[in-house]
Amino acid sequence: MSYFFTIFSPTDTPLFTHEFGTSRSGGDGIARFTASERSLAPFILHSSLDIVEELQFGPSSTSGSAPMYLKHIDKYANNFVSCWITGANVRFLLLTRPRDEALGLAGGGGAGARGSLAGGRVTGSGLYDPRSPATEEAVKNFFVDVYEAWLKTVMNPFFHAGNGDVVKSPVFRQRVAAAAKKYL
Amino acid sequence: MTPLQDATPKPPRYPADLEASMILPKQRASPASSLASLPYRRSNPSLHKLFESTTSLSGSRPSSGSATPTASVVPSSTFSPGSRLNGAGTPGSLPPGVSDEHRLLIQRAFAPHVVVLADTETEELMRRKGLEGGLLQLLRPFGESVPGKVTIRDSVGAGKSCDDFGVRFVGINEGLGLPPRNPNLRVNTTNGQSEGARTSSSAVPPRRIGGDVAQIEELVDRHLQYSEFNTEGMVSDYLSQSEPVPAEATSSPFYTLYLRRLLSGLPLVPHETFAHPVAGVIAISSRNPNPIEELRRLYKRQHDGDLRLPQWVENDFLRYYLLIHDEDTGDIAKSNQTFDAMKRHFGLHCHLLRLKSQQCIPSDDDSVRLPTCEWMSAGEELAEIQKRETADDITDPTPYIPDSDITAIKTFVRELVAQSIVPNMERAIATWNEQVLARRRGISGRFMSLSKRWTPFGSSRNSSSPTLSSNSNYDSLQGFYRPDAPEALMRKLADYCFMLRDWKLALSTYDILRTDFQNDKAWRHYAGAAEMAALSALMSTTPLSSKTRTENIDAWIEAASYSYTDRQRSAAPYYALRTLALGLELLRLRGSGAADDAARWASRILETGLVGAVGTALFTERISACYAVRTGVGAFKLGSRRRKAALWAVLAAENWWRLDKALQAEKCLDAATRLYGIHGQETQTGGPVKLPFPQMQAYIDELRQQILGLRLTNRGLLLDEDGEGGAEVAQSLMVEEATETLDKSPRGHRKSLIGMVAPPPIDVGPLSPRLERGPEADRRDDQFEGA
Repeated sequence: MSYFFTIFSPTDTPLFTHEFGTSRSGGDGIARFTASERSLAPFILHSSLDIVEELQFGPSSTSGSAPMYLKHIDKYANNFVSCWITGANVRFLLLTRPRDEALGLAGGGGAGARGSLAGGRVTGSGLYDPRSPATEEAVKNFFVDVYEAWLKTVMNPFFHAGNGDVVKSPVFRQRVAAAAKKYL
Repeated sequence: MTPLQDATPKPPRYPADLEASMILPKQRASPASSLASLPYRRSNPSLHKLFESTTSLSGSRPSSGSATPTASVVPSSTFSPGSRLNGAGTPGSLPPGVSDEHRLLIQRAFAPHVVVLADTETEELMRRKGLEGGLLQLLRPFGESVPGKVTIRDSVGAGKSCDDFGVRFVGINEGLGLPPRNPNLRVNTTNGQSEGARTSSSAVPPRRIGGDVAQIEELVDRHLQYSEFNTEGMVSDYLSQSEPVPAEATSSPFYTLYLRRLLSGLPLVPHETFAHPVAGVIAISSRNPNPIEELRRLYKRQHDGDLRLPQWVENDFLRYYLLIHDEDTGDIAKSNQTFDAMKRHFGLHCHLLRLKSQQCIPSDDDSVRLPTCEWMSAGEELAEIQKRETADDITDPTPYIPDSDITAIKTFVRELVAQSIVPNMERAIATWNEQVLARRRGISGRFMSLSKRWTPFGSSRNSSSPTLSSNSNYDSLQGFYRPDAPEALMRKLADYCFMLRDWKLALSTYDILRTDFQNDKAWRHYAGAAEMAALSALMSTTPLSSKTRTENIDAWIEAASYSYTDRQRSAAPYYALRTLALGLELLRLRGSGAADDAARWASRILETGLVGAVGTALFTERISACYAVRTGVGAFKLGSRRRKAALWAVLAAENWWRLDKALQAEKCLDAATRLYGIHGQETQTGGPVKLPFPQMQAYIDELRQQILGLRLTNRGLLLDEDGEGGAEVAQSLMVEEATETLDKSPRGHRKSLIGMVAPPPIDVGPLSPRLERGPEADRRDDQFEGA
């Protein structure tokens, strides 16, 4: 699985971008995006902001409470997007691209099966499900850790991340990487 | 006059499959060779007309003048008359709202079918008039839109007049598959009528039956290529790029064309009765020695003879008897006598049509060009394009007919529709509503359907179906209901309601049918009923208030598309595509709430791979349009889908670029930048506004570069090719007639169609002064622009 993590300012400017792969089940923590997927990822995350805003300001589905973790919010092709909103309306967006096998597209053969005009949707167990409790929990833990690091970064008086500056702090990047390694 | 008139008669070969035609533009010959055959191509005015007449529906239809009533029928506001691409281009300024265009299109697409059958004398008469296709060819364009308003009474008796009503005239043997399939055209894996073996192979060489997605794609691709290489003002367009382009139009004409061809030539299938004939015209000529016997003979042939439709088609439809009087040689007194005899024998459904038998030429006083059919199937239009491209004759092969004939035909069509077909359909609806539907709906009907399901002997309803395997009317072996089974009648009732635009009754009937078909496990029928239920619910103008209603429709569309594709190996992707495409169009019209659903169905089309390359690009563009409809509320535009729309526009631009369609790509990219809000604006420091995301900006910049490069390539401006091209041009100047022989490449002629250089800025007629100037002038032009 490959991940693309971006922090958007309230004005939709990306403040921080990090790309990593899974470290679970023998993963080496390196993202495996193809070139086109990599170039599309920012577009997908950017477009998901529409959904974020709707969930954020739309009618509440959580009976009054306003959770920061919005869980899985959007999907484009094989890319799943999860979101976390901070109190200052900074959006953390995590794009997940599961491996082909986890999507039921067996490597190589998937194209043939999908290409048939009859269409074919594979359903079954063992597939990646963005709404499964385990996935949601792992992403939540990741977001919590990142949020903590983020708070410490933006509270730094010498740094203007809160005002829309791009985060360059290597410490912050390290912490995000550590959280990613730990949970995803 | 044209120096290349005697060019090699070798016809261009047409790639059978789409992929091949996609990559063609890349492997061009040198510009000189394409240049050599270019003027000949472009000067074929009839070809130009063909493209123009299909892509700009409401634009100036060439020389048909007042003879085309359709011009006012299609909402002309959706297309600007002076669009820049020879009429095949972008629709012009449209207020950034939603147009009703596609709803009207759908409404017109499901029209009653009328079978035309003529005796040999009539066909001979038509042939003498220059109409190879016989009476059918003459009548067809006029049936598509009945002149004047047609008043329809719905089931409650409320009258309603619509001015865009039409019928489709079809040939008697079209659904029957008498001749074998044309092997050149790709076998339609998409038609998928596995059970109705007699219908799946369908027609005479220009295939009148649609339903073949591959052909639709090929046709649209042809139109795209034409617009790509025949645009005037490409340069000026590029230079004025920074100027604000008119606000994003709701749809490209190519998408409209795609939809129209998708809905043209509905195949004759058991599970829906739209293509089943509602009436049949039986025509004889006044020169026939014994007209009444001939009419009886034709009727017999059609009713139980060799021209009989498959057994799942109701055979006792309305017959309309037509006597064609020859104005030039015939004796009107005798014809009147015959006509009176006809009326005595056959009742009121008779008409005397007075036509001239002489062939008409364009220079005649009151000659009018036979209008182009709007609703011809993709295969038919492809065949037409190919015919005209290969034709050496630069004159228009479309026959001309006298004005008086047109008036007579229009009167006939109007009378046929307003006095026979519509009242007959109304009557049928009333009868079935009373006898079949009410009984099914009533308490006994419910009980019976229950008992049919649960008890082994409750088979009171299946007396009409002797070959039943279980106690239902469904013949599961052959996959149809007999035409007199209640289910078949109800389906027909619902379809009639749909064609007469009585959405409410149609919806309730489809809904009952849905459950019936589901119980019978007639999945194809079930899918059809679910599809039409969703469509009729969406077609009705009443607001779909509640959320549950929307969920209802979603479930229907879902069920239809699933049952069409996945169940029972009998996949019918064409119908699934139709369901999804029409559903998305109608949902999109429902405003912002349903736009998300529309976009979801559109992406379902892409995900399930129902369309080919061209369709993918078109539907990607469409998703963007769906999201763009959602504008959001309040000052902050909450709930808008601006960024989503922009994403899909970028994706569409990339798709078009991959297909070498520079113009479309450019258009989509402009739309995307507009949606991102970085189009043509400048920051305070003077530089252009950038996207906040540097990677996105880089991607868009790169895409724009590539599109620009592609555009230059399309115009034959590659520098390395310029060098060798110059030499050939020099040679061709010496021996102008020999240009073609220099064309060593075996594919030269085919390339010439695609690898054209920039056309002149005006739309030249057949004999352009450019030809006299010789190719040298062109060459200079190109180098100037290339520099």
